[in-house]
Amino acid sequence: MQPFAFSTLPIDTARGREALADPACGGYATFEGWVRDHNEGRAVRRLEYEAYAALAEREGERIVAEAVAKYGVQHAACIHRIGDLALGEMAVWVGVSSRHRAEAFAACRYIIDEVKHRVPIWKKEHYVDGDSGWVNCERCAQPGEHESHADHAHAHAATEESRAAPDFSRQIALPEVGAAGQQRLRAGSVLVIGAGGLGVPVLQYLAAAGVGRVGIVDGDVVEASNLHRQPLYGVADIGKSKAAVAAARLRALNPEATFAVHAERADAGNLVDWLARYDLVVDCSDNFATKFTVNDAAVILGKPAVFASVYQYEGQLQVYLPREDWPCLRCLWPEAPRDGLVGNCAQAGVLGPVPAVLGAMQAMQALKILLGLPVESAPALHVFDLLGMHWRTLKAARNPACDHSPRELQTEAIDPDALELVYPTLAAACASGLTLVDIREPWERARDDPPGPIEWHLPLSAFLQGSTALPREGRYLIVCAHGVRSLALAGHLRSLGFTAVYSLAGGLAAVDS
Amino acid sequence: MKKVTLQYFAVLREQAGRSEERLETAATTPAELYAEVQARHGFTLPLSMLRVAVNEEFRDWSSPLEANDRVVFIPPVAGG
Repeated sequence: MQPFAFSTLPIDTARGREALADPACGGYATFEGWVRDHNEGRAVRRLEYEAYAALAEREGERIVAEAVAKYGVQHAACIHRIGDLALGEMAVWVGVSSRHRAEAFAACRYIIDEVKHRVPIWKKEHYVDGDSGWVNCERCAQPGEHESHADHAHAHAATEESRAAPDFSRQIALPEVGAAGQQRLRAGSVLVIGAGGLGVPVLQYLAAAGVGRVGIVDGDVVEASNLHRQPLYGVADIGKSKAAVAAARLRALNPEATFAVHAERADAGNLVDWLARYDLVVDCSDNFATKFTVNDAAVILGKPAVFASVYQYEGQLQVYLPREDWPCLRCLWPEAPRDGLVGNCAQAGVLGPVPAVLGAMQAMQALKILLGLPVESAPALHVFDLLGMHWRTLKAARNPACDHSPRELQTEAIDPDALELVYPTLAAACASGLTLVDIREPWERARDDPPGPIEWHLPLSAFLQGSTALPREGRYLIVCAHGVRSLALAGHLRSLGFTAVYSLAGGLAAVDS
Repeated sequence: MKKVTLQYFAVLREQAGRSEERLETAATTPAELYAEVQARHGFTLPLSMLRVAVNEEFRDWSSPLEANDRVVFIPPVAGG
């Protein structure tokens, strides 16, 4: 049996018990979590569970393995339901078999606590009064405190936390805010795309200001290289879901607000549904495909959007308002730039305060929108140079050719099935009739010369300078080190009229020599 | 010939090795001006990926260029 699994069907505990049975074991402990009829004072009718399956299964398996190693038990497993559940149904099952009972109980306790805390599962409660709401299961557990659960500390902790409340008096004192403005913030909701360098200050200041409901969208985990510009996280968070960690920290900052975790990448398939539930969106993403998808979703739904991007010491800030005289992102950039051709933070480098400054400005614009204050006198792209300390306000106008009418959301990212091809070897690519074009720079080739049948060596920089050496009618597979530049270039060449140009998925690193 | 002031951002600033310059040019449009400085500084970004602002307003590449115009070539950036 798998150590951790999701099930859309009722959990078969007898099968679980059989799978864990072992003559060497003298004890078997199980835990069952059931759907109960109330939560936080509200009568519940039924529940819906949703999980980010790919990530959740990995994390679940890790937890079970940890429990086995930590307590030295023989066997352990956990099954979690997803989908619709009625009152009384079993939502989660944990089983542990071991030589002695003490370890079995402890491991069982560890698994259920950690699963509730770490595995990205959300439950939607349908209340008897007809209302419903999403509740992140992580709210059920205190972060990393399973050791203290012997005295069942977390019910007490929650009560104590709720006694203290943020004091907004310093902002209520502003004539533009006042008690009415504070109420608007409390009633307001903001979806934040990306919990990175820009997203961290945006989230912190929105939560601190008392915005009532904040959605956090980020499919990444915290990496060591993030911390210098994302100080909401610490080294102990490395490897954990950014969105989940951010939500836990923000709840500590403002326990009165609701924080929804979307631990996945925003795309054309999910964004409109999510954004429909919020007043506005703040785009803190780090790639063009997402930015333009956010733009399209905001235009379609008629919601304001606050965009920012950074490059080294510079930043750009633009607000979209759903008004007839206001330009959107596509008005400025009719042809959405392709990712990979312009450097990002990882390639180009960035100093922490640069996204912090831009993110704080995004938070400011978002609060002004929620408060009903004028956002700016005229639509503009603000360009900041924090090295030279210049701020230019470039007036932008609506592009009459830009289509702002409601329509289906288009994915800016090119369908990878069509543009990216997977091959086990370069020889296999040749065998399928493709001509190989290596676009790595000369110094990369000298260092790590690839074996295999490469016909063209044309560095990316030559293409960007307008090289027309490559005949348009050929069938090409573009290759680079890791498949990022080749994908960008393949898309670019398609737009120039090359019909049969593909990118090697994963680059040379992904093929056997 | 007329004098104009140019300002560079992001990858253009890196490639030009400066954030601003004042130069004398025969270019009559921002497109001609970009071709001129692209050749001089070896800019790798094609014009199609940039926007141009003249005197703090976005303009078409074919709009007329006047003496003492302040021209900004802006590459899109996506870092977050």
